[in-house]
Amino acid sequence: MRRMSKIAAVTMVGALALTGCGSNSGGGGGGGSSSSGGSASEDVCKSKTDGDGPKIGLAYDVGGRGDQSFNDSAYAGLEKAVEDLDATCVEANAQTDDNDTTRAERLRTLAEGGVNPVIAVGYLYSPAAAKVAPEYPDVDFAVIDGYASTIATDATNLADLTFAENEGSYLVGVAAALESKSGKIGFVGGVDGELIQKFEAGYVAGAKSVKPDIDIAIQYLTQDQADAATGYENPSGGKAAAEAMYQDGADVVYHAAGKSGLGVFQAAAAAGDGNWAIGVDSDQYLTAPKDQQPRILTSMLKRIDTAVLEAGKAVQDDSWKSGFVTYDLKSDGVGYSTSGGFVDDLKTQIDEAADQIKSGEVTVPAKPEN
Amino acid sequence: MSVVRRAVVVLAAPVLALVVAGLIVSGLLLATGDDVAGFWRVMTTVPSERSIVAIMNQSTILYVSGVAAAIGFRMNLFNIGVEGQYRLGGFAAGAFAGQAWLPGYLNTVVAILVAMLVGALWAGIAGVLRAYRGVSEVISTIMLNAIAGSLIGYLIKRWGESTGNATNTKAMPEGSRIGTVAVFPDSPVELYGLGLLAVVVGVGFWVLLNRTRFGFDLRATGASESAAVASGVDTRRMIVVTMLVSGGVAGLIGLPVMFSQSYNYGSSFQTGLGFTGIAVALLGRNHPVGIAFGALVFAYLSQQANLLNIQAGISPDIIEATQGIIVLAVVIAYVVVRRYRVRQEQAQVARQLDDAPPGAAPASAATPAGGAR
Amino acid sequence: MSTSTGSQTQAGRTRTPAIELRGIGKRFPGVIANHDVDITIESGTIHALVGENGAGKSTLMKILYGVQRPDDGTITVEGQQVTLSTPADAIARGIGMVFQHFMLADNLTVLENVTLGAEKLHGIGDAARARIVEISEQYGFGLDPDELVETLGVGERQRVEILKVLYRGARIIILDEPTAVLVPQEVDALFDNLRLLREEGNTLIFISHKLDEVRAVADRITVIRRGTTVASVAPAEVTSRQLAELMVGSELPSPSTGESTVTDRVLLSVRDLTVRDAPTVPGQTVGRAVLADVSFDIHAGEVLGIAGVEGNGQTELVEALVGMRRPEQGSVHLADQDVSEWSTRRRREAGIGYVPEDRHRHGLLLDSPLWENRILGHQTRPPSVRGGWLDVRGSRKDSTRIVEQYDVRTPGIDTTARALSGGNQQKFIVGREMSGDPVLLVAAHPTRGVDVGAQAQIWQHVKDARREGLAVLLVSADLDELIGLSDTIRVMLRGRLVGDFDPQTVTPQELGSAMTGAGDEETAR
Repeated sequence: MRRMSKIAAVTMVGALALTGCGSNSGGGGGGGSSSSGGSASEDVCKSKTDGDGPKIGLAYDVGGRGDQSFNDSAYAGLEKAVEDLDATCVEANAQTDDNDTTRAERLRTLAEGGVNPVIAVGYLYSPAAAKVAPEYPDVDFAVIDGYASTIATDATNLADLTFAENEGSYLVGVAAALESKSGKIGFVGGVDGELIQKFEAGYVAGAKSVKPDIDIAIQYLTQDQADAATGYENPSGGKAAAEAMYQDGADVVYHAAGKSGLGVFQAAAAAGDGNWAIGVDSDQYLTAPKDQQPRILTSMLKRIDTAVLEAGKAVQDDSWKSGFVTYDLKSDGVGYSTSGGFVDDLKTQIDEAADQIKSGEVTVPAKPEN
Repeated sequence: MSVVRRAVVVLAAPVLALVVAGLIVSGLLLATGDDVAGFWRVMTTVPSERSIVAIMNQSTILYVSGVAAAIGFRMNLFNIGVEGQYRLGGFAAGAFAGQAWLPGYLNTVVAILVAMLVGALWAGIAGVLRAYRGVSEVISTIMLNAIAGSLIGYLIKRWGESTGNATNTKAMPEGSRIGTVAVFPDSPVELYGLGLLAVVVGVGFWVLLNRTRFGFDLRATGASESAAVASGVDTRRMIVVTMLVSGGVAGLIGLPVMFSQSYNYGSSFQTGLGFTGIAVALLGRNHPVGIAFGALVFAYLSQQANLLNIQAGISPDIIEATQGIIVLAVVIAYVVVRRYRVRQEQAQVARQLDDAPPGAAPASAATPAGGAR
Repeated sequence: MSTSTGSQTQAGRTRTPAIELRGIGKRFPGVIANHDVDITIESGTIHALVGENGAGKSTLMKILYGVQRPDDGTITVEGQQVTLSTPADAIARGIGMVFQHFMLADNLTVLENVTLGAEKLHGIGDAARARIVEISEQYGFGLDPDELVETLGVGERQRVEILKVLYRGARIIILDEPTAVLVPQEVDALFDNLRLLREEGNTLIFISHKLDEVRAVADRITVIRRGTTVASVAPAEVTSRQLAELMVGSELPSPSTGESTVTDRVLLSVRDLTVRDAPTVPGQTVGRAVLADVSFDIHAGEVLGIAGVEGNGQTELVEALVGMRRPEQGSVHLADQDVSEWSTRRRREAGIGYVPEDRHRHGLLLDSPLWENRILGHQTRPPSVRGGWLDVRGSRKDSTRIVEQYDVRTPGIDTTARALSGGNQQKFIVGREMSGDPVLLVAAHPTRGVDVGAQAQIWQHVKDARREGLAVLLVSADLDELIGLSDTIRVMLRGRLVGDFDPQTVTPQELGSAMTGAGDEETAR
């Protein structure tokens, strides 16, 4: 008996250790004004079961629907496709202990369910998609942020939809530097890897283009590549990181950390007037709770929604392009949001920077300097 | 006790637990407004050939993880650090194999040993801290998990290479890779070659526990530390050795996928198996056969999670809840069944001895009934 | 002697009996704890209930105190038939119970302990204090209500327990083996208290298996065997031996040793052994010495008995000898070898057999089958282990041998240790520890909690060991056992060996006074 209760106690510890990383605690919920990230009843894939358009299968990354950022941006694409293309859709969620086989299984299950295209959100799906795509030549596969086409080079039904996050981040970097009174700004990244470093590099370059001597604090939630949960599903970690930056004098903090970014907003709201947070991927002003909205300066838009919509359209029009498809500033694949009107007075300067990028006058680095 | 009755008693707890868990989950689905009928339809559908292989693959991995945890549990050592141990071991093996210092399968064999060694050493830290400084292994292994993750992150960022947005160790040479075994001719999913490790680990675990002195000392310490000490077991040494063995087995967890599929350690390395292994060990009552059963149940559930999600629109979170509920139900069911068994046995002994004529010799040497315990 | 139990009344008494039990039965799954129990307890008497361990005394008392409900039969208290569902019911009927293990909070005063849970009676203030003083004086308890319990001796604590029961208005008091924890002098004092209680009209139920004591104090004795009442007798009518035979149902053994087998070969030699507790006071670096400068020898064929009130260092001595406890100083020689620095395993390999004081904690794996328990303590030696491998067949075979030779009553060697009775567990342990040619047998309370039949067999095994030339260290609280089995008796008091007695001539009273530290001259008769 004594032993049993000890085992049970340890199970609880183990469970806590698990959920401690993966929980949504402190996420603050959708806050009401959200059109996505809501409950099952407003799910377009459930409410609409037939349509003449393509049937889109979407496999989410860790964090899933409701992160109000990366994954929700993909979901927004589904909503648009349902509306514009009369499409229907099927969704599948990731599990924290996925491996390449389980990811491949997810894509196969979608493909066999009669969907086309299958869109996988997140580069982790790349090896899986590269394996599965040749098995289903009649179905088109796309990986957001992926590199699958470098593995399965022959596949004509496999596309990697990538984004010039550095360009979008450059613009919010400009906005941050212009808005900052203290001369100190911050960046909270999820997992310290190639992808998020693109955000960092662009942000830093943008800020320095305005104030060359600006002080930029940079923190990643984890160094551990395989630990997506700590990086992207960790609002309390995001909150702690941002709190430290605000206390240290930073007055604008940009996050590229998925759901962990919700914690950054909480920290901004707590830091109060004069302190700002910048969202990522989606227009996060729209989904933030009322108390946080006044603190969200802008959001770097990564138009995953556009990519999803266009993938659906390509299937419908039979115009699928394989290989890398890059969404950059010029093609409106990235940008910044103006909801809340806090950047209205900076708009000319930001747009000027955007024009310089589009014209090629400025090249935004994709890697941090050091 | 007749064979049938024995079997009934042995199976009673897991079956009872599964039934109870099923009922609770149904209630949960009703409460969340999900599709209960769809849930049961998917859960009771015979999986496709492909899924069967995938379940087998996942089972072998979970089995190794379960055994790693069970080795510690058997002597009341709670090695929560399997997670960190297998990731560090996997990383070391991946990095080593990628360097291709050794030719062909020699490279593979040494890489496997490296994984075990690194896993063992990482666990050994917690063992030494517990034995000689009294630091709870639960606390120290949780800390070591975090340190392992950061350490890998640092090393891989420093010396790894990038593929697209992913970062990983160098891919191992073709000659050191282990192929897959086709179970069904048409299935695109095949068995990991190193899945065989699970069989080796399972048999080894059974032999270790039931046929070696070390295993006896381990079980004795777990069953009653005071009795073990009185019998001459050096518990400090046992703690360290047990952690080393547990960590060594943990080092193997990530290898089947690495040698048969990803060929390197990188962003897509499967995490979380160490924690699942704890649950699997609990479900299997730390018994070599029981753990296999537990691994199969968990692999089945996580495989079905995809189908449930896609076909019935049920969130994978429900599957995670189901797994948790099953573990709790099993723990409770075993307490209930165990009490029943103890009472039954005592009553049986009393009855048998009452029947014997007074002063008569006891019913000598009962049949050596297979009694593998 | 009469063996009927019914309603016979003692001459000259016509009052309503305090308690009448008729046809009481209680079954647990697969076990009948009590059946057809009939007892009549006259008001204002001391009624003893005797029986072996496991005969069903405790279950019966639990029924009477409302802890368990009988399956059959009736309970009548002072003429009224009652149903006792909880101890509260029993207390309301004036029945109180004094448990063998005291239930007192050490860091509270007598007053606080007594009023705890009975605050409604007289509050917790002066009224309560006055009532406590009143009871204490009435029965000669000599208790100060404001004294801390932790400063009290065992006898005083027991009086606090009795006072608690009286304070709650009990007129019928059950005492569960009250003398088990007392030295002889304290027993006498307790009996004086009991007699005084009886004179004041209380009824006392006295559970014991120490028959001399029972005969000294009881007015009536009921014997329980195998769950039922087998006789009700007056103490004057029977001898202790007859009583014992009633309890066991057969002829009774005694622990006498017979001829001396002591040789002049020293097998165990202990010198200046000192063991300290871990420091309990913060900042203190050295703990209390629980064993101080203990030196003795045991020869081949000699049984050295250690007497002492529990907690005077016997446990520490045994553990230091077996190697489970590190002494601060001193040496232990086994035959010619200095084993002071050896681990427990090495010492066991060298031939130390160990029958532990608490067999559940130190002697058995309760949930493992007997044949696995055979391996315990012999993990490095044949027949159970060869090299690093278990020899299952060898272990099973040897377990069967032990079961047969030591008369362990079990359906087989696959039965778990837990399922056996205490006596059979102990016989198995003795058999195991006598395996593998031991040179020294350390036996701590080998017959504690063991039925009379098994007790006799275990005594016989100790005698056999002695005859075979082993050195035996026997620690026991049972003075008769010590006197009967030992060649020499030493007394332990506060960690030191204080007395040296010849069992041929010593009396329990002499041992008792040495155990409590009273000088020999005081108790000389």
